[in-house]
Order: sequence, then structure tokens, then C-alpha cells
Amino acid sequence: MYFLGISSYYHDSSVALIDANGKLIDFKKEEWLSRIKGDKSFPRLALIELINSFELSEKNLSSIIFYEKPVRAWVTVLKHSVKNNPISNNLTRNYFKNAWNSSMRFQMDISKHLNLKKIPLLYSDHHLSHTLSTNFYYNKLPCVSVVVDGYGDKFCTSIHHIKSKDEIINIWNSEYPHSLGLFYSAITDYLGFAVNEGEYKMMGLASFGKPEYYEQLKKTIYFKDDNLIVDTKYYDYVRRTDRSYSDELVKLLKIKPREPDIPLEIGKSNFENYANIASSAQKVLEEILFDVFKLAHKLTNEKIFLFSGGVAMNSSAVMKCSKLNFINELNIPPSPGDSGAAIGAAFFGFLKSNQPQQNDQQSNPLIENLFPGKLKSEESFYEIPFEKISDSQNSIEETSKVISNDEIVATCYGNIETGPRALGHRSLICNAHNNSLIKKLSTEIKNRSLFRPTAPAILKENADKYFILEKNLMNSYFHMAAVATPKKDFADRITGVIHADNTSRVQICLEDQLLGKILKKLENKNIFLLANTSFNISSDPMVYDKEDAYLAIERMGIKYLLTENGLYKKK
Amino acid sequence: MILTPEKDQNLLKSIVEFSYAEYGSALEMLAAAKRAKSPKLKIGYIKHALDEYRHTFLLHKVLSNQVKKGKWKFEREFKFSPQNVLLKGYVDKDGYLVEKLALKKFVEFVYSNEYLAKSSFDWLTKQITDSESIKTLKRIMDDEQHHADDSQETLESIMKDELVHHGMAKKFYEAKFPESKLNKAFKRELFKNKLRTFYYKNLKFLNKIFDPILNFFITCFGRIVNLIVIPVPSDKNLMAKDPKSIL
Repeated sequence: MYFLGISSYYHDSSVALIDANGKLIDFKKEEWLSRIKGDKSFPRLALIELINSFELSEKNLSSIIFYEKPVRAWVTVLKHSVKNNPISNNLTRNYFKNAWNSSMRFQMDISKHLNLKKIPLLYSDHHLSHTLSTNFYYNKLPCVSVVVDGYGDKFCTSIHHIKSKDEIINIWNSEYPHSLGLFYSAITDYLGFAVNEGEYKMMGLASFGKPEYYEQLKKTIYFKDDNLIVDTKYYDYVRRTDRSYSDELVKLLKIKPREPDIPLEIGKSNFENYANIASSAQKVLEEILFDVFKLAHKLTNEKIFLFSGGVAMNSSAVMKCSKLNFINELNIPPSPGDSGAAIGAAFFGFLKSNQPQQNDQQSNPLIENLFPGKLKSEESFYEIPFEKISDSQNSIEETSKVISNDEIVATCYGNIETGPRALGHRSLICNAHNNSLIKKLSTEIKNRSLFRPTAPAILKENADKYFILEKNLMNSYFHMAAVATPKKDFADRITGVIHADNTSRVQICLEDQLLGKILKKLENKNIFLLANTSFNISSDPMVYDKEDAYLAIERMGIKYLLTENGLYKKK
Repeated sequence: MILTPEKDQNLLKSIVEFSYAEYGSALEMLAAAKRAKSPKLKIGYIKHALDEYRHTFLLHKVLSNQVKKGKWKFEREFKFSPQNVLLKGYVDKDGYLVEKLALKKFVEFVYSNEYLAKSSFDWLTKQITDSESIKTLKRIMDDEQHHADDSQETLESIMKDELVHHGMAKKFYEAKFPESKLNKAFKRELFKNKLRTFYYKNLKFLNKIFDPILNFFITCFGRIVNLIVIPVPSDKNLMAKDPKSIL
């Protein structure tokens, strides 16, 4: 029997399938199949692919679980908006008009594909789905889960005490509109980046600035008497749909919000001011996170922490939080945002079924589930545009030779990564000791701004030599959830993968993982790190199947492609 | 391909719409490639998708060039957001065309829409050359004595691609369905295009009628919503809550 979890309608729709042993069998994001980045519509294509792959029906589906309580989610924002805004207000009208496109239509959408008369439909709490999506990978109990996101159901931040699998106590919440995630998104909007998309760009930009606007921003959001308060006078996300900050914030910061079409280039006009705003927002975010973590410890006395929600993708803040002296372990799931919540929802269904989870004591659920699923994809058409230069047996050796010759290799290898970070199966990789090659990869091929860092991948056995690693974050380094500081003795050998704040979002690889195998072969060529960035074009989702890979190769002008069947060179 | 150019609309807005239309076509072609069995056909669809992606990029370049001249302001709605391709209806959220149409209907659609695209780009090229805004732009360009703005050239290169696509679609259609006639398909697509144009032209007017009605409903419903109390369960154990409740 299977448990089907679904997350949808807010951002990054996805589906997850857990089997009767509590194993993650498959996970798919709708954007991978529809090719529309951030696709939040009902995950129709992803669901159809799961139904076809596993012949899902009432015969083998134990339950379908939606990741939030749909009516509560919709009513909370509408109630707040009706209460606080004039009736002709944009947000109210938009919410009212879009009820039909919200999670309220879930039952209708799912019933087009599966027989709801015979399959129980369950609803998890939004933040509980996040908590369980982390608990699925890290099962040391008891522990405390901190969830920080924009908004879900009714809450924006939650602290859950996980005493056992069937006792997860909700001990503290911050209700809408008091949201750390929406604050960070509002500043992202102020800086001209897209909300729900550009937050990581703002994090990268923050490293170039000084927190000169910290005092001003601190007036707009603060933590007082164990409560998170947002002064909504400064933020229009409670009033408008087209803008998240208010004119009051513009008056307070005295800097004109950046127009999205104006390039942000290091050294050019206003770059410093915008970097300073980003740096200030990052500092405010980190300090409030410290307060939330301290409160979580005070209320539970736990030292093992789980951290999820969109804000947990802030790898820089994660590293700083890990330094809090009461944290023994800080664990982040590979997909901390809403798409990963589908895994939590499916796990909720599994736990409610009271079936025992079969855990192999030797296995690590995190490592085992980084690339789950079944991908039906064939590449026979590659014989037209490519020359196969090596079969699957020799492809790792050949790839290492190509990389040592300072070439960039794209990978579309087996199943895709669960989370937003490319961990080798959908990556563009090259020699991380070659700075000019990394610059070419980042700016010419991926068309990214220079202020955005490129991440390094390194074998576990070499990681300590190059980086100062936090022991309580070790799990997070397997999926790039946290940054680390490079050691001084080696930093000058890898400057291309070190960011302006002297950190790297390092990925630690095991020898039996794809990047680990390539790195092992590269050791005798004196290459110990790979530069690794996601295989996609800006504004496109990650490459999913072989057709996407070929299309992206053509668009990016890359020569080499590694798949599970061999290494190809473009004719 | 769905195009809704309007002469009386801001030119930049038309370019934005064109870019979404091209993006939508790219997605449709990629979806077709994924379902094609023959390697040659697969590559053909991917090449077509590549052109459509390139056009999207080039149209953004045209847009950016126009804005850089300072005549127009970059409005937030001009910023490309992939999800707008669904919201604006350039891709149907209920399925790509290749999922919904039989091969003949799909090829008919591509063929006739490439024809319409060709004529729409013809229209846009004329707008760039003849409209008053472009004259102003030309003046600015002459002043600067640079040739930075390659809008005309870019559009011409897109036109060439569209002609190729149209030719290819025609060739494929005639080879595959030699006895068929396309007149009906042309008329159908043209009618749908006109209907869309009519809808967008009258959207503001329709809003004027419906907005007061909507406000009335919100006022009534808002009062009801305010009466809804979201229950706070006495048991703080989240695993003990009713999993069937939607509240």
C-alpha cells in the first residue's frame, strides 16, 4: 500500500509517495514536468506520472494527504484583510476572486484522477507537514522542530516538540501577518528581485554590504516578550498583491526601491546601498532566528533541532544558528520549502496508519533518499546530435579526464535531486581550482550576476582539510544546506568557489555517489574540488529528462553531457 | 501560438504579450518532443522549441532596448514571470495541446498558428518602423549615433524563423495528411484569436461593470467570514487532531 502526499496552490507544487514500510518511493515537482519555474498549479503532470509508474488506484493507495487545511489557510488571510483593509482593497478582492484557484479546489482537482469514494482523503497541518518532512530524514527522538516560512494555514513560525512519532506538541506560534519569511520576501521585492524566487539572490548580495540599515529595519520587525511582531505599516503584503513593501518603508530607508530591469553590478551606482539593505535584512533575520531557537530550547530543553520552512534555505543563517551553544545537532531536510512538505504530508498518512517503519539500523535515511524515484527516460535520439565517447563502464574515468582538461560537463544522471540544490545528478561541473573557468560557467553560460556564488563539492575524507566544518551541521553538508568557512592555508587554491563573506556552500560527497566517484578519479590529477551549479537556465526549472538536457545543452552551448548510459560530446 | 496584438495598446505591452506567446509555444513544442516516438521528429520539435525560447529572449532584449532609451518606464508587470504563461492562458493548465489533440489536429494547430504568428510579427515590425514612438526612438538613436538598438534587426531574424517554422509545418502537414484541407483550421484559429483580442480590449469595461457587484459580495461575505472562528483544539498534540477536518 502507498501514501500519496500533495503540496500545491501556493508555490512549487509537488507529489510524494511513501510505501507501507515508510520508505520514500518517489517525489516529483510539477515544475520539472511542466517546465514552468515555480509552477504552483495542481501537480497534474507529476501525479499522472506517479499513477502510471506505480499503477496507483484504490487498490493500492491507503490514503491521499494534502499538506495543509485548505479552508483555514484561505479564511485566515481573508479575515485579516476584510478586518483591516477597505473593502475595495486589492488583496481582499484578489483573495476573493482567486478562491477558485486556491487550495479550496483540491478535492475537485484530485477527484479527476483518483476515486475519492474509495480512498480516504486526509489533511495535515501546514507546519506539521514541514516538521514531518524533516523528521522523515532525521529520526532521533525526542527533538524540537522549528518551522519558519512565509505563511501556511494560520501560522508563519512554529515550534513543535517531537516527543514520539505520535506525540508532536505545538508549543508556540507566530500568527499571520507576523512573518519573518514575508519580511525577507518584502525586502527581496524592495531590491527588485522576484518574491519566492529571488530570496537566495538577496542572501548572496548581503555578503557585499554592511548592515547600515539595521536600526531602521529593526523598528519594523522585532522579537519581544516571546512574540514576533511585524509593524505592518511598513509592509504592503497585507494590503496589496503587486508590492510587498509600503511607502513608509521607502521613507524610512530613504533609498529608492530598485527597478527590476536595472542591472545590479558590483561597483556600479547604488550597488553598495542595495547590498547594505540586503546585509541589514540578513542581520535582522539571523537575530530573530536566534531568538526563536533560544525560545525553542527554553520551552523544551531539547538540544537536537530540526529546521524547515522556506527560511531554512538561507544557508548563511543556518551556519550562524548552528553556533548557538545549546544546539547539539541542527538538521535541515533536502527540500525545506513547501514542495518538500508533500513528503511530510505522505509521512503523516503513513504515521496515522500505525504501521511500523522499517528502519535498517545501518542505513542513513538522508543519504538514501537524496535521489528517490523512478524516471522513465530514454536517450536513443542522442545519436543524432551527440557522439558517444564512452559507455557507462568507463564514463567516470572519461569524465574526470575531460574535467582535468578544464572543460565543463553537464550531468543528467539517473534520478533527479529532491531539493533545490543540484547535488550532481542535474549539475554543471568543472575544476574548482580554475577561477576563470568558474567565472565563465557562472556569468557566460548561466548568465548569473557576479555577486552570486558557485558552490564546491568535495569528498568527505578531504572536507576537513579545506573547510572549517561545524560538527552539529554535518548532515546538512550532504545537501548544501549550510555554508562553511574555507581554511586559510588552502583558500587561495579555490577562490572561485569562495563567496565575498569568505564562506562556501560546500557539498560533501561520499565515494559511492556520482560526484564522489568523479572526485576520487580526479585526486591523482591534483583536483580535489569540483565547482557545481544547477543544470538549468535562469528562469527555467532544473533539467528533468533527456529532452530537457539536450535542449539546455543547445541553449547554453555546452559540449559534454554525462548520463547513466555514458559520456556524450556534442557533434 | 496565441497572439493578441492591439494597435491602440502600448507597444511595450504588446511586446510583453508576444514574448509570453513565444514562451508558451516553446513549452508546447517541448511537450510535443517528449511525446514523439521518432528520434527525428523529437529533434525537430526540440529545434522548434529552441527557436521559440530564443525569440522570448530576443523580445525581452527589444523591450529592454526600448526602455533604455528612456521614452518608456519599465513597469513591474513587464518583468518576465514564467507562471504568467499559465495565468495569461498561453498554456492551458489542463494540459498541453499535444496531450489533448490528435496528431492531425495538433499539426493543424501548429501550421495555422505559425501562419498567424507570421502575420502578427509582420504587424509588430511595422509598428516598430512606423509608430510615433519608434520615430522618437529613431531620433534618439540618430542622436546617439550608435546602433545599439537592434530591435528591427531582431524582429526580422525572428520573422525568418517564423517563416521557416511555417514552411516546415506546412510541409509536414501536407506529407502526413495529403488529402486534408486547412481552411477550417485557419478560420477556427483566426476566430479564437479575434475572440481573445475582443476579450482583452473590453476587459477594463467588463471590470467596470463587475467590480461594484464584486464589492457588494465581498461586503456581505466579509461579514460572514468575520463570524467564522477557527477552532483551537484543546489537545496540543498535532497528531491527535482530526485528519479529515479542512479547518
